[in-house]
Amino acid sequence: MLEFFILSYSVASLSGLLVGSVSNILSTSRSITFGLTMLHAILGGSLLGVYLNLIFNLDLPIPLISTLVAICLSIMVGELVEKGFSEDMSIAFTVSIATTMTIVFGYLSSQISSIALARAWSYIAGTSAISTFQDLLKLAITLFIVLPITHLFFREFKYIAFDEDGSKALGLNIRVYRYMFYSLAAISASVLSSTIGVLATHVVLSVPGFLILKFSKRLSIAFTYLSSVSIMILGYYLASLLSIPPSGGVGLVSIIAVLGVVVYGRRY
Amino acid sequence: MVNELLVENLTVLYDGLTALENVSFTLDSPFFTVVMGPNGAGKTTLLKTILGLVKPASGNIRVYGLNVFKENKKIKHLAGYIPQVININLHIPMTVKEVVGMGALSKTFPPRILDKKTEEEVERTLRLVELENYSEKEFKTLSGGERQRVLIARALIKKPRLLLLDEPFSMLDFDIKCDIANLLVKLHREMNVDVLLVAHEISPCISFEPEVILLNKKVYAVGRAADVLRLDILRKAYPGVTELPQGFIIGEDHA
Repeated sequence: MLEFFILSYSVASLSGLLVGSVSNILSTSRSITFGLTMLHAILGGSLLGVYLNLIFNLDLPIPLISTLVAICLSIMVGELVEKGFSEDMSIAFTVSIATTMTIVFGYLSSQISSIALARAWSYIAGTSAISTFQDLLKLAITLFIVLPITHLFFREFKYIAFDEDGSKALGLNIRVYRYMFYSLAAISASVLSSTIGVLATHVVLSVPGFLILKFSKRLSIAFTYLSSVSIMILGYYLASLLSIPPSGGVGLVSIIAVLGVVVYGRRY
Repeated sequence: MVNELLVENLTVLYDGLTALENVSFTLDSPFFTVVMGPNGAGKTTLLKTILGLVKPASGNIRVYGLNVFKENKKIKHLAGYIPQVININLHIPMTVKEVVGMGALSKTFPPRILDKKTEEEVERTLRLVELENYSEKEFKTLSGGERQRVLIARALIKKPRLLLLDEPFSMLDFDIKCDIANLLVKLHREMNVDVLLVAHEISPCISFEPEVILLNKKVYAVGRAADVLRLDILRKAYPGVTELPQGFIIGEDHA
């Protein structure tokens, strides 16, 4: 029991750190709608993975396929923006590709195996109530990659979000930084999706950044991590109280946090 | 090094539409030049092309003898660009120190940490634009004129030879416009910085009487303000120019 408790809350803490490392850049660069591309791509990618495994009798790791699809579609958004399309239009285009993949591969998989869609759904909703050592290991490795890179380039990411034209004129290679950030966000979202589910990841990625923009004058990194880790731990705790999957608890805490900010904002 | 900014037969297209057509002019250093023209005349495009941020369909630009497209890194070190304040995302919490510091740190490699030496340089540059003790303030809490000064400081900290300013007087009160214009003239005279700015009006700079380029996709005139800002010439670049007994109106601005 103690082992399960430690494992669950370790996974919650590491997930919180991972959310914190990408959330404020995602929010401050007004890339929340970009999250749509990423998460639809993860959905489409996971169903593509399920289909490929079924049809070729393979054992490909689904998170790897969904990460690759997310990175490809994220880069496509970046390229379309570079070509002069608006970000909204680029996101809508890539989301439509990802959604088509979800529908097509979902349908094809269901024709072959009766449990294929159930397997994909568990990935989407994060229905697994049990955190495994594999989850912990996966999160730790991802953090080991994502955390140092986001901190090394944090000033550049923030500066580009602040003044893109000025950053270009100062000689920053916006395209390289954009792709780097999109890729880091895609890897993080994919790994989070395989632990707390795509839907909860979608909700939780934007919340710490939102809280920072509302409460922290200096875009405090400590505040980001504090809020993201708190949301995850409280979410896991709420899930255990209500006997629901962790994704449900995390989603509920995120919604309460956002509603709290809205109410607070109306009063003050 | 050649002491001139040369723009030769420059044509820029956006999605097949002409933004600049066969634009040519030469500015001999030292210069303080205002690019004037109506909305959509290609003024910002011209500045961005000079910086190498926009690729032209044809033409040639040389900044102090350097080819903008082949020696772009050198150009970015030589030139300081001040974008329109309206294009800045004020939701991002940035202190004045961070904004100005980035100008200096852009020459270094990540992680670009503000060390003591850079902070002292930031303070020195802020004194130059008359913003002492502003380094810890939030950029978004500053007035329009103060924001403009911070952006000028960010460009100045690189010790540029050329300042390119995109509408530095927009959305400012007349007194503040004059303050900014006086600051630019001071920098031009005391630090030998060449200035090329885009504006709808030259009235804030009138005491100095800069050189004017009248642009509306094409160059209609280049020369001293008194020679260029004549009704017969303005009519060509500003189709909506209105004549009054006291003078004339071009768009919303008075000349």
